[in-house]
Amino acid sequence: MVIYGVYIVSKSGGLIFNYDHNIPRVETEKTFGYPLDIKLQYENKKVVVAFGQRDGINVGHVLLSVNGSPVTGRTTEDGRDVFEVVEIKENYPLSLKFGRARATTNEKIVLASMFYPLFALASQLSPVPKCSGIESLTADTFKLSCFQTLTGVKFIIVTDPNMQGSEVVLKRIYELYSDYALKNPFYSLEMPIRCELFDTSLHTLLELVEKSGTGNL
Amino acid sequence: MTIHNLYIFDRYGSLLYYGEWNRSKQSGMSREEEGKLMYGMLFSIKSFVAKISPLDPKDGFMHYKTTKYTLHCLETPSGLKFVMNTDNQAQGVRELLKRIYGEIYVKYAIRNPMCGIGEPIISEIFKNKLDAFIKQTPIHVRAS
Amino acid sequence: MSRQTSRLDAKKVNSELLTLTYGALVSQMLKETENSEDVNKQLERIGYNMGVRLIEDFLARTTSTRCLEMRETADKIQQAFRLYLNMQPTVTSWSSAGDEFSLVWDQCPLSEWVEMPNNGLKYCALIPGAIRGALQMVQLDVQCWFVQDQLKGDAVTELRVKYIKRLEDAVPAGED
Repeated sequence: MVIYGVYIVSKSGGLIFNYDHNIPRVETEKTFGYPLDIKLQYENKKVVVAFGQRDGINVGHVLLSVNGSPVTGRTTEDGRDVFEVVEIKENYPLSLKFGRARATTNEKIVLASMFYPLFALASQLSPVPKCSGIESLTADTFKLSCFQTLTGVKFIIVTDPNMQGSEVVLKRIYELYSDYALKNPFYSLEMPIRCELFDTSLHTLLELVEKSGTGNL
Repeated sequence: MTIHNLYIFDRYGSLLYYGEWNRSKQSGMSREEEGKLMYGMLFSIKSFVAKISPLDPKDGFMHYKTTKYTLHCLETPSGLKFVMNTDNQAQGVRELLKRIYGEIYVKYAIRNPMCGIGEPIISEIFKNKLDAFIKQTPIHVRAS
Repeated sequence: MSRQTSRLDAKKVNSELLTLTYGALVSQMLKETENSEDVNKQLERIGYNMGVRLIEDFLARTTSTRCLEMRETADKIQQAFRLYLNMQPTVTSWSSAGDEFSLVWDQCPLSEWVEMPNNGLKYCALIPGAIRGALQMVQLDVQCWFVQDQLKGDAVTELRVKYIKRLEDAVPAGED
């Protein structure tokens, strides 16, 4: 069992805690000849692979560096435009590094606020009465499990798709939250959780689950 | 085990078809509005999944579960979305949706020249075939 | 409308019927418009409308996933030729950037027994139209044209396919 990450969303939809546990780093560096046989595109302030996936460089991956020089936006460190660099034959062979973009803190905050309306919509569009929001969401690469407390705080874990017993893990995280965050007199509600004890006990919990499953929680 | 309802959307988000079998709660809005809301939710889920996924997703979103029902979604490479709500015990719904795509939609909507692409499916044959298909599936047992 | 026709075994329909139907269609169009350039455009458009529908049949039958590179696309097109026209064009002449390739064939059920009038008609313009239509439905914008044509005296027929861009998914109203 693999746990990729933990999110805690407050009653008002703000992300108050996030922990990346085991997110694999997907990166590939390769030397290319002219002309470049991968189609690049500029979107959301990133240079991404639009078409022509191969050798582990997949569509959607972000260009991270050109000849070892990191790329920010569409320019390299020395201020050259990436799209110009890859057009010029003299620049080849060119070593390009691609990777799957990892969510930045800002993006995670956006993700958390996105989940909030989805949760509510699932209940609104229900074909049967008295239905809750999303409890789990499965894609081919992961499973997201969500537990909402009666007070409206949401605990979310992202795991591998075959994860069993997510509810137990979520309940345990809830206990940790009430112990180490809520009982901490210096923690104020709705604010980001910055408690070292919480971090360490959460880490221990996740390690335990990954090693020996949820059976003995 | 029960099938509640089915939505078919094209890649521009228009609702091509809606069918229901055991639905006990209506959303209280027009079918058109409900379709828009449903498509909007699926669209958000798709971009949510693409961002939160730890690895490169291939099929992407497959289903979500609430206390009372499960929503299954099959998106074809051509951008059609087949969305089916069932109870939480239903198994093999993805395969079922694939069959609805291949054996009902392609046969009775795509191959029907009177059925415009991107227009709501009003064909009686389509409706009858779909109803018959749903009723003979093992998942579908009338909630009587 | 009667639906009995779909119970026919598709594999047993006589291909000569297709050849004759297509031939009659093209010659009738040519008679009506006189201008072969217009006929080419019309044929392309008919092909496009067929491709838009055919892709769904193809996807349902083959359970293909979305193509993420051109070689995969070429394979799929080749497979579709086998499936719908029972012919196997060769995929060759890749551009060095891997975004352009040719489909080459020397026999096609559409153009059997055809002797061409010398007027710039692209007899098989239906095929590039169908390819363009089908690929557009899977978010791929391509350009597709004939480089060589057996009907015009070349040794083989060569159809070139070039990647233009990936089309974005449609965003529902009210989203960013």
